[in-house]
Amino acid sequence: MSCLNVFSRFNRFLCLLALTLLPLTASAFDLNDLQQQLRATPIVRGQFIQQKFLRSLPQALTSRGDFTLAAGKGLLWLLRTPIAQDLRINADGISRRDESGAWQALPQHTGAGRENQLFLSVLAGDTRGLQENFDLTLTGEANAWQLTLTPRSALLKQIFTAIQIDGGALVDRIELRETQGDRSVLQMTGAVAADALTPEEQRAFAD
Amino acid sequence: MHSRTERWLPRLFKLGLLLVLLAGAWQCRHGWPVSANLMELVPQSANDATRQLAEDRIQEPLSRQLIALVATQDGATPKGADPAQPARLLAQRWTDSGLFSVVQVELNVDLAAVREQLLAGRLAMLPLADRRLLDSDPAAYAQRRARELSDPFSSSGLVPADQDWLGLTRRAEQSLRPGGSVQYDMGSGTLQAQQAGRRWVLVRAETRGDAFDADAPQRIAAQIDQDRAALQADGAQMLVAGGALYAAAGKAQAVAEGSWIGSGATIGIVLVLLLALRRWRVLLAFVPVAVGLVTGAVACVAVFGSIHVLTLVIGASLIGVAVDFPMHWLGKSFGMPDWQAWPALRRVLPGLTISLAASLVGYVALAFTPFPALTQTAVFSAAGLLGAYACTVCQLPAWMRGWQPRPWLPLLHVAQAALKMRERLGNRRGVLWAGVVVMAAVTVGGIARLGIQDDLRQWLSLPAPLMQQARQIGEITGYVPTSQFFLVRSPDPDELLRRQALVAQQLDTLVQRGGLAAYNALSQLVSPAADQQALARRLAELAGEPQAWKPMTDLGIPFEAVAAELRSLAALPVVTIDGALQGPQAERWRTLWLGQHGGEYAGMISLLGLSDPVALQAIAQSAPGVTLVDRSGELNRMFAATRIEAAELKLLSYVAAAVLLLLTLGRAATWRILAVPLAATVCSLAALGYLGQPLTLFSLFGLLLVSAIGVDYAIFMYERVAGAAASLVGILLGAVTTLLSFGLLALSHTPAIANFGLAVALGVAFSLLWAPWVGPPRRA
Repeated sequence: MSCLNVFSRFNRFLCLLALTLLPLTASAFDLNDLQQQLRATPIVRGQFIQQKFLRSLPQALTSRGDFTLAAGKGLLWLLRTPIAQDLRINADGISRRDESGAWQALPQHTGAGRENQLFLSVLAGDTRGLQENFDLTLTGEANAWQLTLTPRSALLKQIFTAIQIDGGALVDRIELRETQGDRSVLQMTGAVAADALTPEEQRAFAD
Repeated sequence: MHSRTERWLPRLFKLGLLLVLLAGAWQCRHGWPVSANLMELVPQSANDATRQLAEDRIQEPLSRQLIALVATQDGATPKGADPAQPARLLAQRWTDSGLFSVVQVELNVDLAAVREQLLAGRLAMLPLADRRLLDSDPAAYAQRRARELSDPFSSSGLVPADQDWLGLTRRAEQSLRPGGSVQYDMGSGTLQAQQAGRRWVLVRAETRGDAFDADAPQRIAAQIDQDRAALQADGAQMLVAGGALYAAAGKAQAVAEGSWIGSGATIGIVLVLLLALRRWRVLLAFVPVAVGLVTGAVACVAVFGSIHVLTLVIGASLIGVAVDFPMHWLGKSFGMPDWQAWPALRRVLPGLTISLAASLVGYVALAFTPFPALTQTAVFSAAGLLGAYACTVCQLPAWMRGWQPRPWLPLLHVAQAALKMRERLGNRRGVLWAGVVVMAAVTVGGIARLGIQDDLRQWLSLPAPLMQQARQIGEITGYVPTSQFFLVRSPDPDELLRRQALVAQQLDTLVQRGGLAAYNALSQLVSPAADQQALARRLAELAGEPQAWKPMTDLGIPFEAVAAELRSLAALPVVTIDGALQGPQAERWRTLWLGQHGGEYAGMISLLGLSDPVALQAIAQSAPGVTLVDRSGELNRMFAATRIEAAELKLLSYVAAAVLLLLTLGRAATWRILAVPLAATVCSLAALGYLGQPLTLFSLFGLLLVSAIGVDYAIFMYERVAGAAASLVGILLGAVTTLLSFGLLALSHTPAIANFGLAVALGVAFSLLWAPWVGPPRRA
């Protein structure tokens, strides 16, 4: 039974989902258009703040850093505070840069192929895979919208109640509400589209 | 003229037959006592109760479990549709059929219970590497945990972070995950595996274990056929594998073969009888055959509790041997113009009796091998021959009194011509010797080509589609159960877990080398009680060392929270093996724990997807009390040992026959008679070599039977009751019927049976060829 790690799995692809939504334009605003837009995703760079609100702690656990998303290559997630840690997510899985600068694959779960496929379908803007497990509700204007993902299965509902993505021209905020009362918030700031990767980024994706 | 014996024998026989029939009827009170389980034909291992229990546990799912994979035809599901729908349909159909005790498509995971188990066992279920790190370098552990907590992709687990600051449940949960590529799909609640873009949903069922429901496999096979059609109509595809299906296929094939071999032999023998003796009443010669078959089956069930389909198929060939008794007796009419039932019987009785004794020696030799398959055949055939002999000797003459067959004389003329030719050949010494030399050379050449081969796979022939599906399921799920396993024993449970951990360490290396896909060991589930206590003490110490946890407190987690967690970890009650097996996460390991037996604790380590079986022998040496149980390897060694035993038995059967002949017919007759089966056996071996057929245990025992038949023919040729030509006609008729039944056996789809049939058919043909060379006794 590999169900137990699914929570983090969803958390994971959620970030990707949100990030791939970044370059949405303000015109026609339904899931189909969204999907088309995603296929033309260029390179996006920005900063993030990740906050984890735990019931037992008065303060949220907070980390900050930079990210780079490159269509077809993957995502660089560079934590800066409180500890520095470089992560990379691509079709092969998740890797962490070790002290010597080499990428080390984080322990893959068995059957990660299916998981990665899910990422890729999200990257490709394929919402069908999502709709299998979630009810998707899109509300608001093109420049101020909210996408809510509600788990369909009883089992998923035991883990989290909803995932909420807010955005305007770009995704601003992702919130994940756990059934047990904790919640995580990811805020993206200063996200901009770019035409080319820096040499350093190219190296990071190439290894 | 009616002698007293001629009146009493038929009555005695009828009484005996009645008793046999009553016994048979009583045996069938719960339905036909026919079994199709291949494992019943394989020798039981040495009497070690714990090991037997372990083998049964490993065997159980292989024979009772049914696994199906269901996928939509094109791999795609319509938008918003449930991709597990076809699998649910199948599960519903299986449940409705009432054929299964368990049907499972959806795992009803009780997350609250899983959380509770993980929390209570987070210290006991922690993998060894993490225990060591916590003990030796807690700061490194804290550093790793801090990274995890700040990584949005791996910070979350099933248990909230503030209930498990050290992330132990995450580590425990990861180590509990099974190998293979089957994944739990949260959306549908089903187990799924992906291959080439298609998603297969797993459905599992267990058949009811009713011992008396021998027809269940057939009904399950029929159910599967209907299910397949129903799913296809829904645009879905199904792959299915399971012991019940193999049993059904094996049984269906055996029944089909048994009946066509039986009817083929019967029709052939009817034709031979009618052509040769030209009277309808000769068909009464079939009564001994029927009596023989019934007696054989009843004896077999009486001794073994049931009769195996493989025995039934081989038993069908007994028709050809059993009919020889009436055949020899009726065949004498060719040399006795005034053939009368009782007097003719009196004249062939010594020959019949010696031939029965010789055949019994051949069959009884089979009974002393460790293979129940051969023992069953021996008991069936020996009892069958006795029944047929009794019927021929006691009952048939009473029915044929005052009746005479009308022998077809051209047959006698052919026999006379053949004998004359043999005599002419025998008088030319030069030609004869040249012939002998050439024959010897050809024979040596054939025997040199003979290969020896024995494999359990020769005992069954599964239809290709079934094999194909089983292979595909193995490829898709990566779950290929292996019959080899380790049995680990020790004086106490902690030591058992340590020994399992030592074996597991070696298996990890094997997995890395690609020699093994995965394994299940109790040491993966729970650590020894003493280790749990030691770690608890260490953690209590660490609650007073804030600097060790600095990487975590830097994140903003108050040290007091970490210290409280460490203290509550130190206070966790020890988890025993029994306790660890209780939870919902432990299903994979539940069968591995055998508990306490004879003052020892025992547990297994099961293996999946083994490709390097040779490595296991060395791994079994990595800890004391570890036994590698390797049924297939053991069987191969047993096959080899039994082959040697068979050769010894064959020698012994010759000695027995020689003693029998010496006592009854004298020394001069003995070597002449024994030369026939010897020559026939050697020639059959050479023929098998030229035909490219291997020498198997079954063909060896076929040849054992050949020596009995050869002795039989030689005795009739030697005795020459009613003349050499009449005796040759009797042998010819007997040989034709035997050849018919065993020749048909050679066409069986089951390699072992075909091999057996071929060996006997060849041996009979050569016996027929060499028997006429036996000279008559020298009259003083």
